[in-house]
Amino acid sequence: MTCKICNRPNKKNEYCSLHLKAYQNIYKKFEVWKKALEISWIDYLVNISKNSLTGEWAKEVVKYLIEAESRNVKER
Amino acid sequence: MKKYILIISEKPDAANRIATALDDKGKTIRENSNGVPFFTAKNGDKEIIVASALGHLYTVANTKKGEWNYPVFDYQWVPRWMVEKNASKIRTWLKVLTQLSENAEEFIDACDYDIEGSIIGYSILKYACDNKEKIAKRMKYSTLTKEDLKESFNKPLPQLDFALIEAGLARHEIDWLYGINLSRALTLAARNNNNVYTTLSAGRVQGPTLKYIETREKNIQIFVPTPFWNITAKINIDNNTYELEHEKKTIETLLEAKNITTTCKVKEGQITKIDVKEFQQNPPVPFDLGTLQSEAYRLFKYTPLRTSKIAQHLYTNALISYPRTNSQKLPPAIGYSDILKKLNKSPIYQKFTQKLLTQPTLKPNEGTKYDPAHPAIYPTGNLPEKVLDDSEKNIYDLIVKRFLAVFGEPALIQSIKVSVNINQNMFFMTGYRTLKEGWMEYYKPFVHSKNISFPPLFEKQTVTVKKITLKNNFTKPPPRYNPRSLLKKMENEKIGTKATRATIIQTLYERKYIKGEQNITITDLGFEVTEVLKNYCPSVVSSEMTRKLEEKMEQIQLEQETKQNVLIETIENLKTVTSTLKQNQLEIGTQLGQKIKQIRINEQTIGKCPKCQTGNLVIIRSKKTNKRFVGCTNFFENKCNTSFPLPQTGTIKPLTTPCKTCNYPVIKILINTKQPWKLCLNPNCPTKEKKK
Repeated sequence: MTCKICNRPNKKNEYCSLHLKAYQNIYKKFEVWKKALEISWIDYLVNISKNSLTGEWAKEVVKYLIEAESRNVKER
Repeated sequence: MKKYILIISEKPDAANRIATALDDKGKTIRENSNGVPFFTAKNGDKEIIVASALGHLYTVANTKKGEWNYPVFDYQWVPRWMVEKNASKIRTWLKVLTQLSENAEEFIDACDYDIEGSIIGYSILKYACDNKEKIAKRMKYSTLTKEDLKESFNKPLPQLDFALIEAGLARHEIDWLYGINLSRALTLAARNNNNVYTTLSAGRVQGPTLKYIETREKNIQIFVPTPFWNITAKINIDNNTYELEHEKKTIETLLEAKNITTTCKVKEGQITKIDVKEFQQNPPVPFDLGTLQSEAYRLFKYTPLRTSKIAQHLYTNALISYPRTNSQKLPPAIGYSDILKKLNKSPIYQKFTQKLLTQPTLKPNEGTKYDPAHPAIYPTGNLPEKVLDDSEKNIYDLIVKRFLAVFGEPALIQSIKVSVNINQNMFFMTGYRTLKEGWMEYYKPFVHSKNISFPPLFEKQTVTVKKITLKNNFTKPPPRYNPRSLLKKMENEKIGTKATRATIIQTLYERKYIKGEQNITITDLGFEVTEVLKNYCPSVVSSEMTRKLEEKMEQIQLEQETKQNVLIETIENLKTVTSTLKQNQLEIGTQLGQKIKQIRINEQTIGKCPKCQTGNLVIIRSKKTNKRFVGCTNFFENKCNTSFPLPQTGTIKPLTTPCKTCNYPVIKILINTKQPWKLCLNPNCPTKEKKK
């Protein structure tokens, strides 16, 4: 199994350990954003992708998640 | 030949100072044998020769020669010329020291009184002077002033500090064992499995230091900011505008922030409370090396290593006391008023020294740190004989002013906190006034007194609200380390010593594991090396292991532990580490090798090909002519034949910004002694036409 983002070899998850941590962080922080701005998951992703304070690895995961979301919408 | 006392100092400059100080007439004769200087002096009926080392003349080396492999556990102390290139001078140096020792009747070690100095003196006396370490006496001094040197010569310690030496030898041997085994394991893994040769290094203190930077970088790279809001109010008092902060410094939801803002949009507010407090700000504590490095970085942006070198130079010129100290204490024995009287001769400090000299007592505000070997850093009172360069002047001035400031009285500061009610919402503003400067007067311009004052105010006073501002902010990622904060981290984690920390940071730069001067970032290679060490030998990057070893070395110094025990434990630990590294050599090699190859490719890549737009321009060396040029990677697929000539000498560094005129890639050429120059790759670039 390789990481969906960077292709690093990986035993358990769909992300490597670095991108997994970034993903977990994105997921955890959504609660704060939702409470603060009452925004949807996709709006949240777009917001943090444009924020210059977001880390590069977190941005890579966000980009992947946004693409995955738009693929889902098309399929639906 | 008349017998003499042989004194060994650490460096020739110090030898000269010692001989001059001890000579009855204050004049020394500089002699030399095969280019090695030594100094003669006459002290009463005693003939003295002061010879010096050149830093460390002996080092730890592998007992077995030849095979470049690991693990390596057999070692010995040897002269540096035997194992290091370009160290042939040391061979002659040692020969001269041996010759000088043959007619000496008494031996005195006068190297710096710390671990490194003690090892330098001990190894010369033991190996070059035929085991004279057993009978040698020890001069202990903290400044290279005439008074201190004479005193320490007249009352030397009866023998060398063997416990300190044992601890120092243990440190060198343990560091060598870790360094050689880990570095060889990494280098060989990369070479054997990928055929890429590059020197990779790791060490007992390097490992944890690199991990701090890596952990910080990871936290920055996975960081997701969260929003919060601040509300500020601008009010008018006596035609002056003041800014106040809402009592809730961070408001977590936009809805709440908007509600507060709407409520506050009124014309007037009322002062409900004026809280005036006075507090004392104590003088700073004297400098130990760490705080000096920290302060020099804050004020002048000097790296810790640079500050350390400058301070060492000032010490050798007898301007300041020994800088590699952990102490923040200034014992009365250094003679406070004598130093102040000497400094009083300088027009720059006269105003302050005179004031301090009129004080009934002089009592420094000392810190908690203590070093049995040396006091805190202080000026000797000697004024510079030669003109100091700017950086030396800065550090000297900082040390003198700090010394003056520690004797100053506490500063008296008044804080005024004003509470304003704007439609049931509390806002605050705080002002400061320095009522008495105290020590701050002596420490200017390195300290600024706080002064944010208000006009006369009273409770229930009505104020005009000019503006309410709602600001959206985001939480910030942790800051990257700078040389100052990284050094502080190492100090807090108790890894390395005051003398080695700055050099270890420098080594990480030289190995290309880290980059950036003010914001230290880990490179891809540094990241990969940390990953390998974390996965296969986590103890090597753990602060815990390093800290425990440091504690053990302190115990050796206190004679509560033996060097032998600590070394046996180290070797046992290293046997496990090296065996794991060997078992996983293939995987480690693949991981490191790929990264090194990638880094090499990146170093060779100049930029995108301006013609085909799909290939990359890379530096290629022709097999036919052995000349280098730039070619497009698409050439190998017969798609693009773009090529550009290159200068055949100098190092080439691709620049990220293309040519402003033609947009072609630009490179920088670095030739040793010459000024670096930039070159646009486009031979027809209009800028070149102009030059023609």
